[in-house]
Amino acid sequence: MKFSQLLVDFAFLLDNSPTYNKVKRFFRNLLTNDDYKYKRYFDYFMIFLILSSVVIIIEEVKTPISKWLYYYDVYFVTGVFIVEYLLRLWVYNDIHKIIIEEFENSVFLEREFDTKKVLKEIIRSKLEYILSPLSIIDLLAILPSYREVRILRIFVLFRVFKLLRYSQNIQHFLQVLTSKKVELFTLLILVAFVILISGISLYVFEEHANPNINTLFDAFYWSLVTISTVGYGDITPVTTEGRGITIVIILTGIGLISFATSIIVSAFSERLEEVRTNRILSAIKRLEEYYIICGYTHMARLFVKRLERDKKSFLIIDLDKKVVDEALNAGYLAICADASKKDTFKNINFDKVKAVMALTDSDMHNIYICLNIRSFSKDVFLVSRTIDTSSQKKLKLAGADYLISPYITAGLFAAKVIEQPIAIEAINDILTARKNALCDQVEVIHDSFLDGARVGEIDFSRYKLILLGVVRSLDGSKGAKWGANRRFIFNPPADFVLKVDDILVIMGYSISISHFKSEVIESSLKNVRKKR
Amino acid sequence: MSERNDRVLVFGFGRYGEQVAKNLAAESYDVYIADFDKEALNHASKEGFENLLVVDIHSDEHITEILLEHGFDKVFCAYDDEEKNIYLTITFKALFPKIEVIAICESKESERKLKLAGADKVIDTMVAAANRLYFVLEKPAVAEAMDEILFKDKSLTFKEIVVPAGSFLDGKNINDYNWSEEFRLIIIGIVDKELGNRFIFITRGINHKIDAGDILVVIGKKRDIERFERLLGKKERA
Repeated sequence: MKFSQLLVDFAFLLDNSPTYNKVKRFFRNLLTNDDYKYKRYFDYFMIFLILSSVVIIIEEVKTPISKWLYYYDVYFVTGVFIVEYLLRLWVYNDIHKIIIEEFENSVFLEREFDTKKVLKEIIRSKLEYILSPLSIIDLLAILPSYREVRILRIFVLFRVFKLLRYSQNIQHFLQVLTSKKVELFTLLILVAFVILISGISLYVFEEHANPNINTLFDAFYWSLVTISTVGYGDITPVTTEGRGITIVIILTGIGLISFATSIIVSAFSERLEEVRTNRILSAIKRLEEYYIICGYTHMARLFVKRLERDKKSFLIIDLDKKVVDEALNAGYLAICADASKKDTFKNINFDKVKAVMALTDSDMHNIYICLNIRSFSKDVFLVSRTIDTSSQKKLKLAGADYLISPYITAGLFAAKVIEQPIAIEAINDILTARKNALCDQVEVIHDSFLDGARVGEIDFSRYKLILLGVVRSLDGSKGAKWGANRRFIFNPPADFVLKVDDILVIMGYSISISHFKSEVIESSLKNVRKKR
Repeated sequence: MSERNDRVLVFGFGRYGEQVAKNLAAESYDVYIADFDKEALNHASKEGFENLLVVDIHSDEHITEILLEHGFDKVFCAYDDEEKNIYLTITFKALFPKIEVIAICESKESERKLKLAGADKVIDTMVAAANRLYFVLEKPAVAEAMDEILFKDKSLTFKEIVVPAGSFLDGKNINDYNWSEEFRLIIIGIVDKELGNRFIFITRGINHKIDAGDILVVIGKKRDIERFERLLGKKERA
């Protein structure tokens, strides 16, 4: 009674402690969450420990190793392994949750708190972890440090197995193989059956005639060597009956080997696409900020090229496998999926997505994509291509923030091209960044030399730049997103005073622009330092 | 807006043609529309275009007849079908090499073909749209500024100004003036006759000597530009 009370109090204490939960979450992420950014470094560290300990043990076979290496191997590596093992056991599940659940059940059903049942459940759950294959490998990997028992040295190999945990490639490989569990199992049974029959019959026929076959084990060994087409030849049949059996298992062996190969190959070809998609998704997860482009159309290609030049990240989604392959060959991240299906985006964290673009050739499809995206994220900036003017309203309703239509842009340019061909060409060159001359924006950063300066005071010609104008936000809304309430002030007069969050629109060569930008940032940093 | 009598013939009233024609009409051009498709022409008349021509682009006689009758000097090939645009461009260049042909295309490949066919200006709509997308997403302030200057603010405009002989600019250097204060204009670049007929950005940092015949590309308010042009028009009394 007293003990159970203590147990429940303790469980609630843990459940309510933010520090405990935080620490546990940290370790859980570190050990088990592939998307956690520090897990990678932890993995590398463990791989290093494993490899170094393996090298030490190999070295030890021939020459005595130095005392320090011995200490490192026995105490440090093993120590880390033990700590890791215990941590994994700890984060596997939450004991206090089991206790609390039982407590709540007992209150609800108005029966006594069953301490025994709780303890049993706790032990059962922890045992479940201890007996899982990976955990057994972990445990065996700790053993070799007990060097007094020589046979335990062999368990060093388990340290190598431990690598499995830290390498995704091997895990993918295992996943692929498990998808063919039934076929592989059938194959195994078949092989076992053939070995059993042929081994026993060889033993019966040759035990007296062949000096190399003394036990049943020898016969099985011979049978496996023959069926696998390895054929060492250390044991060869001498009787006619024995040779007859050999002929049969050699033929069976060829069949079985090709069977095994075909299973594995087909497993890979079936799952390869999936594995590749997974890899790309996990690569995407590591990015800080990226665009999603649905439909790798001609427009998307041109857009992507611009992004690539700026070293921005993006993910391409397209239905057509051929098109996706093309994008992959160009070195982009691309997956073959239907952007209007829910499953496609279920693993995507939209907080990191800068904008989603629906650029397919069909208005209807773009509408579906917009609706689908909006069902995941209300705020992500959503751009859609439109073809028919009539679908513009529908796309807006579907949640698109910005519509782009090649027809309308073409129309706008058409009129200007006739009127001012040179100017338009100049603008075009600037916009396409074709000739190194660019148009760019520079935000007025707090405390930089731009902050509070008059436009006339800044010597733009020294920087070899032109100030086209200033964009000032009207309602104090921050950030440089499209569609905010802002005003463009063309060619501001010399006494125009800049303030924080104004955006200068400048024109010039890329080198002048980056020089100017870095000076702005530097001056801001300098002032911050001065204040300190 | 100054009155214009420039006649423009727009071929094709599909998705592109419609937008092109509308924008040209908004700039008070005299827009003529040619298409073979009756339905497209019906649509054009519903949209308020009066000068409609039924033209079969495969008949050279027909095209010659129309061009001679109306005397166009600017033709827009704005079919949605790129191949038609290329074919038309070739036709025009074969019949009337002097006519200015502006064509629309959607791919780099067609742009190349159009240029080979002799089109004076080619608008690659996909490039334009992709660029626009890029600026809206990556540099929204620039996109806004461009919108404002090019399309929204009617009082702001780009202008190519040819420096007349004997004007006060003739023989001066660009850096002799503080353009944005003295004339309230932003000068973007210059086509300098001395340096070959190429457009050079002002931010190159070279202090160009302006001669008669050079073209200055400026941005500014319309009245400021007009004032500047008046100033230029006055002969220098030296």
